[in-house]
Amino acid sequence: MNLILFSAIWGVGMMLGGLFIKNRSAAKNMALLGALLLTSGNLLELNGFAVFKSDFNGMLDYNRFGLLYLTVLSVALIFYFLLSGKEIEAVGKHPFEYFALLFFVMSGVGLVALFNNLLVLFLGIEIISIPLYILTGSDKRNLKSNEAALKYFLMGAFSTGIFLLGIAFLYGGSGSFRLQDLMLQQGDQYIVLLLIGVVLLLISLSFKVSAAPFHFWTPDVYDGAPTVFTSFMATIVKAAFFIGFLKVFSGAFSGLSENWRPSFTIIIVLTLLIGNITAVYQQSVKRMLAYSSIAQAGFMLFSVYASNDLAEQSLLLYAAAYCLSTIGLFAVLIKMNDYTFEGFNGLAKKEPLLAFVASVCVFSLAGIPLTAGFFAKFYVLSAAMKSGANLWLVIFAVIMAAVSVYYYFRIIAAMYFKEGGEQVLVTTPVYKWALMLVVVLILLLGVIPESALLNWLVLY
Amino acid sequence: MNITEILFWFLSALALTGALMMVTGKNPVYSVLWLIVVFFAISGHYILLNAQFLAIVNLIVYAGAIMVLFLFVIMLMNLNADNEPQKNKWLKFAGLIAGGSLLLILVGALRQSDALRTQALQTGGEIGLIHHLGKVLFTDYVLPFELTSILFLSAIVGAVVIGKKGD
Repeated sequence: MNLILFSAIWGVGMMLGGLFIKNRSAAKNMALLGALLLTSGNLLELNGFAVFKSDFNGMLDYNRFGLLYLTVLSVALIFYFLLSGKEIEAVGKHPFEYFALLFFVMSGVGLVALFNNLLVLFLGIEIISIPLYILTGSDKRNLKSNEAALKYFLMGAFSTGIFLLGIAFLYGGSGSFRLQDLMLQQGDQYIVLLLIGVVLLLISLSFKVSAAPFHFWTPDVYDGAPTVFTSFMATIVKAAFFIGFLKVFSGAFSGLSENWRPSFTIIIVLTLLIGNITAVYQQSVKRMLAYSSIAQAGFMLFSVYASNDLAEQSLLLYAAAYCLSTIGLFAVLIKMNDYTFEGFNGLAKKEPLLAFVASVCVFSLAGIPLTAGFFAKFYVLSAAMKSGANLWLVIFAVIMAAVSVYYYFRIIAAMYFKEGGEQVLVTTPVYKWALMLVVVLILLLGVIPESALLNWLVLY
Repeated sequence: MNITEILFWFLSALALTGALMMVTGKNPVYSVLWLIVVFFAISGHYILLNAQFLAIVNLIVYAGAIMVLFLFVIMLMNLNADNEPQKNKWLKFAGLIAGGSLLLILVGALRQSDALRTQALQTGGEIGLIHHLGKVLFTDYVLPFELTSILFLSAIVGAVVIGKKGD
């Protein structure tokens, strides 16, 4: 609750700050302060100091997993502001409002991570989505940005409708919005109504996390949106939708798993296949990262598929690894003038540090050992194995991870083995230190994932 | 057949006819007018279900405010029957199959509704009144109710960011 409360209040504060503070560059620092406040507030709650201890009649569930997940996401938010704060200010004329919207999104993220009632989940998803439609279209002079915003809005509204229809069916079948009451077994009287609800929720949540065949909006929206906001959408927001997905399916529908797992398998296979194969053919790094985010979603779907005790650990680790690596890679990409692979040519000679950081992030995304991505993929797949997934599904995922190495390593090949043009990147010491810190965290999670993150789930 | 059943069938037929005419209509203004018929029929259903407040809100918000917005958009965009773009035949076909499959599943599920009939109306007639609704909103559902304010605030900020002149 701390994070939800603080981010809503800080969002209002940023909004009013735009009215009274004339210095535009103050927005970034104020937002950074807010992100630190969110993180510390959330860490305090993790240790038992909450502003509100009430669960509001079973609306929220302050479990350790949700709080730890929020800590990971708010740390990612700090890095996001440190690395890309300047670019957020440069998007348009309303820097304070952009940050305010980002903070509102964070309060939605808090709701999605801690909900115990489908109404709260719905509100959380909407509070995340509506500011994102705006941020996607915030580059008003750019036609592609406008198109992306409209496309995202229309498709998102449609998927919201499907989500509500699903909730209505679930309510019709069980008479309740609470996750515990939706926990059903085979042979219940109104099982068909509930199954329809499950299918509709599966469709709309798959849309939100951009799993195939509901992924068609993703490349256009990620490509059209201003790059800073693409970075935010592809990392923190996507990870947040995944915890909502996992909580609904493991918290309420695990008794029906033999009904939804077959369709889930198809979604996973399609997501991995389409994401990875299409990413190979992209010429723009930004668009390639959009497809790679679809592919990574395919891996995160495994932990939803598993819905067992390993699922929480694996999703936590995957979210941390994926968010850090993608934010780091986007932070380097934002500094580029040219978003094609050629734009990266010869970066290692001019900016060895940036090239090194980008390489580590790419290694982590591809799942090379000693980086966080390796253990993340390992945990996700072992959770799936433990839940009795078909061995072929896991082998297929590993092959797809090998395919992903090809398109990720094109960036490294461009940076280290090709001669580049004459582009000058504007960087600051703070930016470089933050990048180094990202690398340290990725390596730490890649060497000792248990003591760095996972043990916190069970400690105390 | 008592009066409630007659009303139910009449309103259902009205809602379905209105919805079909709205989707198939060539002229967007006529579609909007048929949509109003649908909203009125659904409000009638709400009254039959003892949800008076919901019925009134549905009329005020949808048939009132949202319909006016729709009409404005249609008039401003100057949509006519002849400049509607022709859609791909195969696309229509695929849409028909996908939508039809969903319809089939929904109909299959609702065949169970005989079993559900026993469950209805156990809660008494007071449930849809505004008195009851207000009480529930500020006790059991106070958190979602308050959270809605964040949603609206972000929408307002967004409208200002998108709509402000000069950049």
